[in-house]
Amino acid sequence: MAVKMRLRRMGQKKAPFYRIVVADSRSPRDGRFIEEVGYYDPTKDPSVIKINEELAKKWLATGAQPTETVAKLLKIAGIEK
Amino acid sequence: MLLKKFLLACVKKKHLTAHLFSCMIAKVNEMEKIVRQTLLYDFYGELLNSHQRKLYEDAVFGDLSLSEIAEEEGISRQGVHDLIRRCDRLMEDYEEKLHLIHKFSETKKQVERIRRLALQRDEESWSEIVKACDGILETL
Repeated sequence: MAVKMRLRRMGQKKAPFYRIVVADSRSPRDGRFIEEVGYYDPTKDPSVIKINEELAKKWLATGAQPTETVAKLLKIAGIEK
Repeated sequence: MLLKKFLLACVKKKHLTAHLFSCMIAKVNEMEKIVRQTLLYDFYGELLNSHQRKLYEDAVFGDLSLSEIAEEEGISRQGVHDLIRRCDRLMEDYEEKLHLIHKFSETKKQVERIRRLALQRDEESWSEIVKACDGILETL
């Protein structure tokens, strides 16, 4: 199964934060996801990036494809494949 | 491997991270693009038409790639790209004229400051609070 690691917007209007989730790539629009691996909260000053490194690495190793934005977050957090 | 949690400061303003890694700054700025787009949409999204809203939400809230959206919609990737860019421009234009996001974030900052000061409960804080209030009233 092809899976992607992507952001999902959460939070109230005007106060967004983003979950980093692993989801099936075949139905990108339905809200389901397989697992949450972290989050990015830009409402804090400074912004907070929390990623479960173990989980993220596990998914990357099994071939989960991060989106461009998630790839950037992983890089900022220092997580490489 | 041990579970390791990352708590990383990617600061809102670029000059604050300038002394860190320059390559990281670029990444942080790009991350801010999606935050900017989210805010634009929260404030001005209702001024877009329903087709624009749907695709913009896919791109910004759902983090779908242009080609994924193109495939779902049965239109070209270039078409999606143009639509997203047009929406960005439209909403930036509104912001330029109405400054709703700017006013919102300034007010938010001031209120957070007032809150911090109020918790200190001393004379000096009170006068700071009055100043901050005046600042807010001026921007309204």
